[in-house]
Amino acid sequence: MAGDGLTLLQGTLDLMILGVLARGPSHGYGIAEQVRETTTGELNVQDGALYQALHRLERQGLVDAEWGASDNNRRARYYSLTPKGRRRVRDQAAEWHRYARAIATLLKGV
Amino acid sequence: MRPSSRDSHRRSPTPAEIDEELRAHLDRRMEALKAQGFTEEAARRTALDQFGDVEATRQYCVAQHQRKEQRMRRQQLLSGLGQDVSVSVRALCRVPLLALTIVATVGVGIGATTVMFAAADAAIFRPLPYQNPGELFRIFTDSPPYRWRFSVADYLALDQQQTAFSRVAGYTDRAMAYSDGRTAERLRVRLVSAGYFDVLRIQPLTGRTFAPEDDRGGASPTAVLSYEFWKQRFGLDPSIVGKVVRLDGTPYTVLGVMPADPGPLERGVDAFVAARWTTPQRRGPFLITALGRLAPGTPRAAAEAQLREIDRRIFPLWQSSYQDKRATWGMLDLKRQIAGDFPGTVAVVAAVVAFVWLIACVNASTLLLARIAGRRRELAMRTALGASRARVLRHLLMESAVLAMAASAFGAGLAWIGIRLVRTLAVDYVPRAAEMTLGGRTLGVLLIGTALSVAVFGLIPALAGTRGSLDDTLRDSGRSATHSRRGRHVGAALVAAQFAVATPMLILTLLLTTTLHRLERVTLGFDTQGVLTAGITLPSASYGTSGQAIAFWTELRKRLLEVPGIVAVAFADSRPPDDAGNQNNFELQDAPVTAGQSQPVTTWVAVTPEYFPLIGAHPIEGRLLEDRDTEDDASPVIVVDAAWAKRFFPGQSAIGKHLHDGGCSRCPWTTVVGVVPVVKYDGLSAPDQGIVYSPMGGAERSRFLIVRSSGNDAAALQAVRGVLRGLNPGIPLANPGTIDELVSDSLQRPAGLSALASGFGVVALILSIVGIYSLMANHVHQHRKEIGIRIALGGRPAGVLGLFVARGTWLVGVGVALGVIAALNVSRLAKALLFGVSATDPATYGGVAAALLVLAAIACAIPALKVIRTSPAVVLRQE
Repeated sequence: MAGDGLTLLQGTLDLMILGVLARGPSHGYGIAEQVRETTTGELNVQDGALYQALHRLERQGLVDAEWGASDNNRRARYYSLTPKGRRRVRDQAAEWHRYARAIATLLKGV
Repeated sequence: MRPSSRDSHRRSPTPAEIDEELRAHLDRRMEALKAQGFTEEAARRTALDQFGDVEATRQYCVAQHQRKEQRMRRQQLLSGLGQDVSVSVRALCRVPLLALTIVATVGVGIGATTVMFAAADAAIFRPLPYQNPGELFRIFTDSPPYRWRFSVADYLALDQQQTAFSRVAGYTDRAMAYSDGRTAERLRVRLVSAGYFDVLRIQPLTGRTFAPEDDRGGASPTAVLSYEFWKQRFGLDPSIVGKVVRLDGTPYTVLGVMPADPGPLERGVDAFVAARWTTPQRRGPFLITALGRLAPGTPRAAAEAQLREIDRRIFPLWQSSYQDKRATWGMLDLKRQIAGDFPGTVAVVAAVVAFVWLIACVNASTLLLARIAGRRRELAMRTALGASRARVLRHLLMESAVLAMAASAFGAGLAWIGIRLVRTLAVDYVPRAAEMTLGGRTLGVLLIGTALSVAVFGLIPALAGTRGSLDDTLRDSGRSATHSRRGRHVGAALVAAQFAVATPMLILTLLLTTTLHRLERVTLGFDTQGVLTAGITLPSASYGTSGQAIAFWTELRKRLLEVPGIVAVAFADSRPPDDAGNQNNFELQDAPVTAGQSQPVTTWVAVTPEYFPLIGAHPIEGRLLEDRDTEDDASPVIVVDAAWAKRFFPGQSAIGKHLHDGGCSRCPWTTVVGVVPVVKYDGLSAPDQGIVYSPMGGAERSRFLIVRSSGNDAAALQAVRGVLRGLNPGIPLANPGTIDELVSDSLQRPAGLSALASGFGVVALILSIVGIYSLMANHVHQHRKEIGIRIALGGRPAGVLGLFVARGTWLVGVGVALGVIAALNVSRLAKALLFGVSATDPATYGGVAAALLVLAAIACAIPALKVIRTSPAVVLRQE
C-alpha cells in the first residue's frame, strides 16, 4: 500500500493525531486505525512516523501518555490531550477550515 | 479502563518502555493481518512494511524524551538556585548588622583594590596609546645615578648620525605668554623638532604638522595648536589654519590643530612650535628630551651600541665645555619613562588596599564561622534527616555568595566613583590617569576579587562547619557549636591571620604618617611669613635686548617698593621649596677630575643681591652677593650654602676656593666669596647636597619675583598684579603663591598617601580587634563552667582572668610576629616614599606590635571579666 496515497503536508500528521485524540484518549495502534478508517486509506501514514509524531507531541507537552490495559487485556500506552494540546487542536482546526474553504472557493469550477 | 490524565508532569518513558510500546503495536498489527488470512511470515512482512524504519523511530522517540528530561533538570536546578538565593537573602535580612558589616568592609576592599589596579593598569600594563608603542624610546645621557636630557648639539648629532631609528625627535617645554591684545595668559608651549609628530605617528585634526622646512634655522615661526586651546581661545574656529597667534610677542602662523584626545606625552601642552634649532657654540645647556622610533627589525642592543658610538664620536668636539667622560648615551622604553616612579607608589597603595580587602574577607569568614557554629545543631539535624553534605554545603555557600555579590556590586560602585575621582583630582600624580577605565582587565580583577572573596569567607567556614562527626554534634547539648575542636581551630587561625595582615598595614601607615610629620617639620631655612612669589616671563619680541629687560626689572622693583606693605623685592631663577633652576656641573681647582670620573653636580640658583636680605640670610663666613658682582666686567663670584662647603671642603673654609663653572676649562676661575645657611630648593625630602648662588645680571627674560610684605598676603598679591598690569598688560603672572602655600602643595602627595593609609589602617585595626573580641567572647562563653568552678574552688579572679587573657594574647602574638616578618619585606617597597624614618624603624615596629598586643589583651579581658564578675552559683546553675 506504500506509495499510492496522498502526500502529507508539513505538520498535517501532528494535527491529524491531535484531531483523533480530541475525540478521546487512545493508544498508538488505535490512532493509526482511526486515521486509516476516517481517511478511507487516502492518506498514507507509516506507523513509524506516527509514533515519532506522538513522542514529539509528548515532548512538546501537547499530549500525555500513560500505561493502561487495552481492550484485549494487554498493556498499551494511552495518549490523551493536555489542556495545551486541546487549545492547539482547536486553534489549528479553525485555521484549517478557513484555509480549506478559501482554497475550495478559489478552485470552484476548475 | 481509561487512564487518568490528572498528572500533567508525568515521568518520561524509558527506552525499554518505548520498545515495549512499538513491539505491542507490531504484534497487534500482525494479529489483525493473520485474522484476515495472512500467513505468519506475510503478516510480519506487511506489518514491518507498514511501520517503516523501526530502529530510526525508536531512536527518534528516545531522543525526544532525553531532550525533555534535560530541559526539566535545568529548570529544576535554576529554580533550586533561585530558591536557595531567596532563602539566603531572607536569612541574611534577619542579621542585618552582620550582613551590612561584611558587605561594607569587603566592598570597600574590593572597590579600592579595583581602583588601584585600574591606575596600575593605565600607567604600567597598558601599551601607550600611540601606534606600535613598543618601538618608542626615550634617548638620554646616562650618567648614573642621573639621566640627563640632551643639548641642542647632542640632538642635532643624533638626528644626523643615527640609522637605528626610523625617526628621532627632540622637544623642550617652555612657558610662553599668549596675548590677544586685551588679556595675557601663560601657555605651556612645546618646542619640537619636525619629526615629533612622525615619531609618535600623530595625525593633525585639521591642517598639517611641521615639515623639515619649518624646522630649519631662519624659517618663519609656525605653530600647531592643541584641541583644548583651539576650543577655549578660538571657539573651534574652522578657519584657524593660516591665522597668526602671538606668543611672547612673536607672530606664529598656525599650521594645524591636534586631535581632541591628546596622548600622555602631550597632555597639558597648549601649543607646539617648530624648534628651529641651529648648531650651538657649546654643548650645554641640557634641556631637550629626545625620542626615537626604533626601525623595524633593528634589535634594541644594536641601537644602544650605535648611541654609545655616536656619543664617543662627538665627545672630542665639545671637550672644552663638557668633560664628563663616564657618561654615555642610553635609551629607555617610553612607557617606563612616562610611568616614572609611579609603579613603586602604586605597588605600596595597592598592597595596603589589598590587605584591607583580605582582612575584611577574613573577618567575614570569622563572623560566618560563628554563625554556622551557632546553627550547627540545625545543620546536623538536616544531615540526619537526609540532606547530603553537598546540599548543606551549597546552602551555606549560597549565603556567602549572596554576600560576596552584594559586596562586589557595592565595590564596583565605589570603584566607578573612585576612578572618576582619580581621573579628575589626581591627574598630576597618576600618569595616564585619563586612560583609567572600569573595563577589560580591571573588570576581570573585580570579578576575580569577588570569586576569591567567596572562596575565603564562603568555603572556609562552610567546610569547617559541615565537617566533624554528626553524632558528636547531636549529643552535644547544643549550647555551643565552636566546641567542635576543628571549628575552634579554624576560628583561631583566622584571627591570627587577621593580625598577620593588619600588622604590616599599620606599620606602613605609621611609617607614612611619620614621613609626613618629618616633612612638615623640615624648615626651609628662613622665615617664610609674608613671602610670596610668582614667575614672570618677558616676551622676546618687545624685550629682545638686555637693556630692555634690565629696564623692565628695575622699574618693576621700583614700583613694587612704592606699594605700602611691601618691604622687600628680589628676583631669582629658583624658589623654595621645589623649584630649582639649574643642575650644573663644575670642576674644583683643588680637585681636578681625572679621566673616567664625573664632574660634581649641584643645584645652581641665580639671585639678585637683594635676595639674601629678603629671606633674612646672614653670611656664616665671608660676604653676600653685592650689586657690583652683577656687572658685566665683574670677576665671577659665587656664594655657597653650608652643605656645599661641608661637602666639598670638609673641615676647612670654602672662602677663596676656585672652580670652573660648567666645566669650561678656558673660562676664568669663579671664586667662592661667602657661605650662607641652607635653604631648600630641591624639595623637602631631598638631602642637602649643596647649593651654589650666582649673581643674577639683568638680561634674563624669565625670573621668579620674590616679595616680602608686612601685611595681608592676598592684598600684596593683588598689588603685584596691579603694578604688573600698569607696566605691561600683556605679561601674565605664573603660579603665584606664598612660600607656605608652595610648601603645602609639595606635601599633597605624602599627605594624601598618609591619609589613605591611615583610613584603611583604622579599618584593619577595628576589624582585627572585633575578630579577637568575638573569638574570645565565644571561648569564654564555652568555658564559663570552668571559670565558675575555678572561682568557686577559691581561684583568684585575677589569676583566672590572666589565664584567659594569656590564651587570646598568645594567639594574637603569633599573628603579630608573622605580620612583622611580612612588614620587613613589604616596607622595602615603600622605601622611596619614606623620609626621615627608616623602612625598618625599630620604634615603629615595636610600637605597632606592642599597641596591637595591648589592645588585643583588653579585647580578651572584657568578655572574661563579665563571666568572672557573675556569681559562680549563677553560672553553674545554668547548666
